[in-house]
Amino acid sequence: MMTSMEMAQFPILTAILMSTIVGMLVILFIPGDRTKLIKQVSLSFAGLGLILCLWLYYAYDVQKGGLQFVERYLWVESLGIYYFNAVDGINLPMLLLTSIVLFTGVWTMWDLELRVKEFFALTYLLVAGVYGVFMSMDLFWIFVWYDVSLFPMYPLIAIWGGTRKEYGAMKLTLYLLAGSALILPGILYLWAQGGGQTFDLFELQAMGFSPLVQKVAFIMLYLGFGILAAAWPFHTWSPVGHVAAPTAVSMIHAGVLMKLGAYGILRLGMTLCPEGLAYWADLMALLATIGIVYGAFVGLAQTDLKYVIGYSSVSHMGMVGLGLSTMTVNGINGAVFQMFAHGVMTALFFSAVGYIYDRTHTKMIPDLGGLSKTMPVASSFFIVAAFAGIGVPCMASFWAELLVFISAVKTYPVRGIFALLGLVVSALFMLRVVQKTFYGEKNERWAHIPDVPLFLATPRIILVGVIIFFGLFPKLMLDVIQSAVVPFVSSL
Amino acid sequence: MNELSTYLIVAAILFSMGLLGLLQRRNLIGMLISIELMLNGASLNFMAFNRFLAPEPAVGQIVTLFIMGLAAAEAAIGLSIILALFRRMHSINVERAQQLRG
Amino acid sequence: MASIFLQDPILPAVALGTGLPFLAMALILIFTRHNPRLSSRISIGAISVAVVSAVYLLVKLHAATAPIQYQTAWLLSDTLTVPFGYLLDPLSLTMLMIVACISFLVQIYSLGYMAGDPGFSRYYAFQSLFAWAMMNMVIAPSMLQLFIFWELVGLASYLLIGFYYEKWSASQAGKKAFVMTRVGDVGFFLGIILLTLGFGNLGIIDINEAARSGSMSSLLITVSGLLIFCGVIGKSAQFPLLTWLPDAMEGPTPVSALLHSATMVAAGVYMFSRIFPFFAASPDAMAFALFIGTVTMLLASTMAMVTYDLKQVWAYSTVSQLGFMVMALAAGGYFAGVFHLTTHAGFKALLFLCSGIFIHHYHTNDMRVIGKSGGRRLVIPIACMTVGALALSGLFPFSGFFSKEAILGVLAGHPNKIWLAAGLLGALMTAYYSFRLIFFILFPAGGIEEKAGHAHHEDIHGHEAHEGDHGFTFWLMVIPVMILAGITLVLGFFQSSFEHFLVGAGVDAHAGEGGHGAGHYVLLVAAVSMALLGILGAWIEFGRKGAAQQGFLSKFPRVWELFARRWFMDDFFRRSLDRFVYGGLTSIFTRNDRRVIDGGIDGLCFFTIAGGRLFSFLQSGMLQYNLLVMIGAVGVIILYFLI
Repeated sequence: MMTSMEMAQFPILTAILMSTIVGMLVILFIPGDRTKLIKQVSLSFAGLGLILCLWLYYAYDVQKGGLQFVERYLWVESLGIYYFNAVDGINLPMLLLTSIVLFTGVWTMWDLELRVKEFFALTYLLVAGVYGVFMSMDLFWIFVWYDVSLFPMYPLIAIWGGTRKEYGAMKLTLYLLAGSALILPGILYLWAQGGGQTFDLFELQAMGFSPLVQKVAFIMLYLGFGILAAAWPFHTWSPVGHVAAPTAVSMIHAGVLMKLGAYGILRLGMTLCPEGLAYWADLMALLATIGIVYGAFVGLAQTDLKYVIGYSSVSHMGMVGLGLSTMTVNGINGAVFQMFAHGVMTALFFSAVGYIYDRTHTKMIPDLGGLSKTMPVASSFFIVAAFAGIGVPCMASFWAELLVFISAVKTYPVRGIFALLGLVVSALFMLRVVQKTFYGEKNERWAHIPDVPLFLATPRIILVGVIIFFGLFPKLMLDVIQSAVVPFVSSL
Repeated sequence: MNELSTYLIVAAILFSMGLLGLLQRRNLIGMLISIELMLNGASLNFMAFNRFLAPEPAVGQIVTLFIMGLAAAEAAIGLSIILALFRRMHSINVERAQQLRG
Repeated sequence: MASIFLQDPILPAVALGTGLPFLAMALILIFTRHNPRLSSRISIGAISVAVVSAVYLLVKLHAATAPIQYQTAWLLSDTLTVPFGYLLDPLSLTMLMIVACISFLVQIYSLGYMAGDPGFSRYYAFQSLFAWAMMNMVIAPSMLQLFIFWELVGLASYLLIGFYYEKWSASQAGKKAFVMTRVGDVGFFLGIILLTLGFGNLGIIDINEAARSGSMSSLLITVSGLLIFCGVIGKSAQFPLLTWLPDAMEGPTPVSALLHSATMVAAGVYMFSRIFPFFAASPDAMAFALFIGTVTMLLASTMAMVTYDLKQVWAYSTVSQLGFMVMALAAGGYFAGVFHLTTHAGFKALLFLCSGIFIHHYHTNDMRVIGKSGGRRLVIPIACMTVGALALSGLFPFSGFFSKEAILGVLAGHPNKIWLAAGLLGALMTAYYSFRLIFFILFPAGGIEEKAGHAHHEDIHGHEAHEGDHGFTFWLMVIPVMILAGITLVLGFFQSSFEHFLVGAGVDAHAGEGGHGAGHYVLLVAAVSMALLGILGAWIEFGRKGAAQQGFLSKFPRVWELFARRWFMDDFFRRSLDRFVYGGLTSIFTRNDRRVIDGGIDGLCFFTIAGGRLFSFLQSGMLQYNLLVMIGAVGVIILYFLI
């Protein structure tokens, strides 16, 4: 198997990973009072990562498919741990998403004053973990990077956070650690069942586990990663965490970190335990459908802008789960596409709210209102994100939802129809928020606030551009995803 | 009288007295002294076994010497802790030093 | 690429015509937001290209025997293909023409109507968005593309209804429109999914072909047909989802003219006729559609009889005419439905644009106030409005006469005559409420009230003074109106050539149009007398000298209230929304989230902490207790090893 993979000349994946780690180290060596320099340095390292990811996306050969840019070295022989990075059609969009969200997130935080150095250093550590999980093909490293990405969340929320930050940070950390307490035994169980010789994902996959092992391991991995993907009923940490976190962290957290969960289910659970998946798929579909409908309904009752987005995330991540549970090409295509689309969309959501919150110091919907009059551009970012959330065509998430629903109605008719009805509710709650926050008479209380300047608008414009670009040309993304999903589904 | 059991009994008495003192005394110096008693009991055991049972006569005495060194070191550290505690609490009563309470 | 363009000029014509508006929208939103003049020029430039290309296509393809189709894959996933392309046949060419022309006229008109509005650029951006989406919907070769642009048209509608977003009622109306059409669209979407799964192909030609040749199971056709018809119900404001359309009148009047009467709401009817053979293959779906169309037509007519709001009258009338079209199609009258769609687009746009002139001039929607302020002095608008009203009532020689006649002919051919009776009743009510409005403006009770200041000045100089004030904008608004009036006058005479164009070119869907027989003249007389009766009734109650201008319905306050409150449909929706959504599931789920899930987690945390507290009592901090435990433990271990 390994012979068919050619080793890439330039270790671009390691370079992407290093762009964050080196970035963090460089930031650590800059004196803390030179905030301007720190921001410039972090933005340029994020930009470097973005350029590398874009190049990677461009250079990936869709026709050939499979694993490319492979870097595989034996690390610990006795345990069978490999330093094994590679990309295929599933993690490539995720890497691109991460770099986009990091770049725009760092840019969004340009106005940060408090402990700038520590903030960006921790953010980089967080993103290093995320990149690591996405590019690693070794179970051991996936788990290590996963934990690396979890720990910075606590200080990031507890120090720079907003509403109920200690509570939110604690809740989030505990939930995620509970998830990781399920994932680690799951991984070790599979490793032990595989003879304890290798952590290599594909060698383990080739071994093939007995159905019982697969069932046990899958449910552990599903629940563990499902917590991170905010699967119902393990979702309550995510709105609370979103609300508490500062803007860029919300963006990374909702935009990327939640995708880690879904990606983990797909990459570990579904790859290693196809029979376990078949056994538990019914439950997965059920939880996902409940999540879709439930998230939309709860979102209707929220009065905090960030809570609203949090619950919309629950709903949208339900769609990812529903797509995965169908075990069809369309469903998984849609799920991966939705992961990307939702990532960009929530990043835009939080980034739009971030500007409003920074200026008005409130994100309670009743306090706001009529913002479109005073800051039309800043409002339009939120409104565009809301349309993407509703699933308006020619925005990236529409295609994802289309694929998910087609396959869901086919595989699980009743659940699929219920999820479809959730669309109406989600339209209702998004438009309700848009109306109450941005429409209406000019609010004198906020009349003095200037509209978003071009410099701060740029990252948001990038996000809008990405949403619409992949909405108009979904093929560019879907061909990549499909190149990995088709062989994956045929191996199920 | 010159039997192994005699020495063992004496050593056991010494050790038990030390243990009792350690558990019962509230004065840190007293407790330190009690620990010395227990160490002496142990030393006596080593000497006795060495005298009656061991083929190589030097081993038990070496151990005893180590114990003496240990005791000296322990006394030095213990006393300095006690001194520090006294400076802080103005007392060397263990009942006053209960800051590690749950 | 260039070679394709040279070989086939149709592709670039379609691409230019339907693509430029999108470009225009992007340009306006990104670059020329602060330059209203340039924005409007960009938008109008784009739509003019669309008009030119629509005319070109019509001229070039009017004699084509087979539909012309071009597709490229927009998205490929597994076996699912989402194509993007065009399907040009008489129907789509006709609709393309309607959309492009009316968009063009409305955009010209808006130059006057919207002049000086702070959101002028935004307005033109949204207009371009609408034009782009609508035209791409019209030429869609597959149901999926149709659905995609159908949704985008809904987005444009939302944005334009809520154009005056600072007005709460406007944003409310936009939200209502979006959500209510969304309800229908979910059914539509589900129907499409069923078709994908059951039939595997969503090409419009393929669907129609399969339905006609009977290769599709009738159950599939009925079920998916009914679901797809939900989309028509939502978009074309049919019963029971009809109340959003009158509310949508909160948008600027040109928007109401373009979207909410002439084109966008007609999209449902268009889609119906687009896959007409498919629907026709299922008698059950057709019967359902006929019923819905009839109910809608009658209900909306009753509502139009009691409102004093100029635009509301035309809105209800739009709903009712859409119902009429659905009736025609559902009764098997393909040509009649499409023909009425065409004529209706013309005269309803005319009516709205005329109303817009009045509203612009008098800053009120109330027909009584307009009449009293001297509405009839705007000679050209009132004349054009009367033309529109006559066409709406179905009187010779206006276009509405011909299309109504055609529909009634179809209904007469239906075995069940109750539909014909309903159609005639509808014609009566239509004439009544249209002329009620006309008479309110022409002959206000108590004559025209003289007003001080500006109004007084106008009264002296009349029409001319107004022209002198802002003559150019006035003519910008009047000229499109006059063009539409001209179209309304002559369009009807092209009925036979239009029929030949539409039906002769391969679609043999006029099986039900056997009504043009012996009973034709009887029917003609009946219809015209119904319309005249309606006008006469309006004359007696509102027009003649000394008329009370109350209407017979005011004698029945309960009925009046029933009609005025839209048969309590809105109350029903409001209450069920409050009870089942906000008060029901939302609150249950929210409480579940807070109490059960979060409560459970917090409880778990609390018990963990409490347990820790409990155990911490063991840590007394007393050195000797620790020692005792240690020694005890050593003792236990010794005992364990000894025994």
